[in-house]
Amino acid sequence: MSLLEKLEAAQRSQDVLQALGVNAIGATIDVAGSATEGDIAGNRVVLAGTNNYLGLTFDPVCVEAAVRAVRSHGTGTTGSRLANGTYACHAALETELADFLEARSAIVFTTGYVANVGVISTLAGPGDVIVLDADSHASIYEGAKLSGAEVYRFRHNDPDDLDKRLRRLGERASRTLVIVEGLYSMLGDVSPLKQICEVKDRYGAYLLLDDAHSFGTMGATGRGLAQAEGVEDQVDFITGTFSKSLGSVGGYCASRKHDINPLRAQIRAYMFTASSTPSVIASTRAALHLISRRPELRTRLWSNAKRVHSALTGLGFTLGADSSPVIATIMDSPQQAADAWQMLLDAGVYVNLVVPPGAPKNMSILRCSLSAAHTPDQISQIIDAYAVVAEHLMGRPKAVAGGSL
Amino acid sequence: MTTYNECVAQIQQILRTTVAKGEVVGEDMDLIEELGLASLDVMELIEQLEDVFDISFPINELGDVRTISDLARRVQLLTDR
Repeated sequence: MSLLEKLEAAQRSQDVLQALGVNAIGATIDVAGSATEGDIAGNRVVLAGTNNYLGLTFDPVCVEAAVRAVRSHGTGTTGSRLANGTYACHAALETELADFLEARSAIVFTTGYVANVGVISTLAGPGDVIVLDADSHASIYEGAKLSGAEVYRFRHNDPDDLDKRLRRLGERASRTLVIVEGLYSMLGDVSPLKQICEVKDRYGAYLLLDDAHSFGTMGATGRGLAQAEGVEDQVDFITGTFSKSLGSVGGYCASRKHDINPLRAQIRAYMFTASSTPSVIASTRAALHLISRRPELRTRLWSNAKRVHSALTGLGFTLGADSSPVIATIMDSPQQAADAWQMLLDAGVYVNLVVPPGAPKNMSILRCSLSAAHTPDQISQIIDAYAVVAEHLMGRPKAVAGGSL
Repeated sequence: MTTYNECVAQIQQILRTTVAKGEVVGEDMDLIEELGLASLDVMELIEQLEDVFDISFPINELGDVRTISDLARRVQLLTDR
């Protein structure tokens, strides 16, 4: 296929989405007025399709920290970490992250995507093996591909299948990096991390946990799924992002078991891209500070998630997982999902539309994500909007919803 | 030891019950362009073959696989390991 033929094929696949009659992919938020409200197509809507789990994007402490930093240190660093873009604030955030995670060291990257691509492609190389969960994020697949290692998938959240793969590797299992995520962002399901750790330990393999969606949302102090499952000492490497619970943009890698500092001079995605702007680092540090000191944010997030999960179950929707901050409603077809998406938007609620080939297992999904900042009234509005979908698209009586209760 | 022909037969059998709906699929047919498999369909086909032959298929080698024959040759090599 020539270069231009590829462009045409890409256009055809966009046309399929356009034919669904909605502008869901890349819907523009004209104004984000708060952590939970924004303007889309001229209408003020409740934002229930973000990753703003703790609602910190508009927290006054974080905003003020960013403003102060941009005034004192300027708008950008204009350089890469290793050359001329490391400021004291980058180093301070790395120390604070390592302290928070009780890790030996931590490295900060410009985005979470870059952290995964850079770390995975550098840790593993030709002659090594990567065994990754089939539903892994694109950045994990990309890093694995770039590494030159032999790459195998195991069935999503299936420790027995992982066991089978490691057994087949024989002695090479000890040169294997297993990769899983904590909370999977499309279906909202959680990795069986304890069993995954048992299996990888049995074969002497290493484990990298991408905790992007569970950092801040899970664990007694918000350290993520490994903390919640009591297996932090068994995880070799944790990667994550600042663009979910921490409300900014950026990524990190940390380790309790190994000193990862020597990787700095090896990771091309660290060495050859500009470092984060001081304002981003400042708001991230402020948010990290708040995660430790405001556990009520997690309590409120989970209470909102449980309320929506229970109401949607009552409405008869098929949901992607048990209660979690991401609630995926599995629809019958891409068209039904698109119609439901528009119906929710018309009712003032923005969620994410995910259709094949972007969805796991060819499913058509409405992805709703909750925030600690959603008010009880906004949660009611979300539930009431889903009740409209249940009534009009699935023939369910509206009375079941109880959203306003 | 698994033969090349056994691998082809197994792939054809899986495809007959999934994408080809009972029709005969030739071993030189292109999985994506002729049989219309999406990337996720290919992954599911691979998973089934891995179970049948108790092998693990490296996904970074998928780029070299276009036809049923390509896949069968690779699967046969893996069963010999």
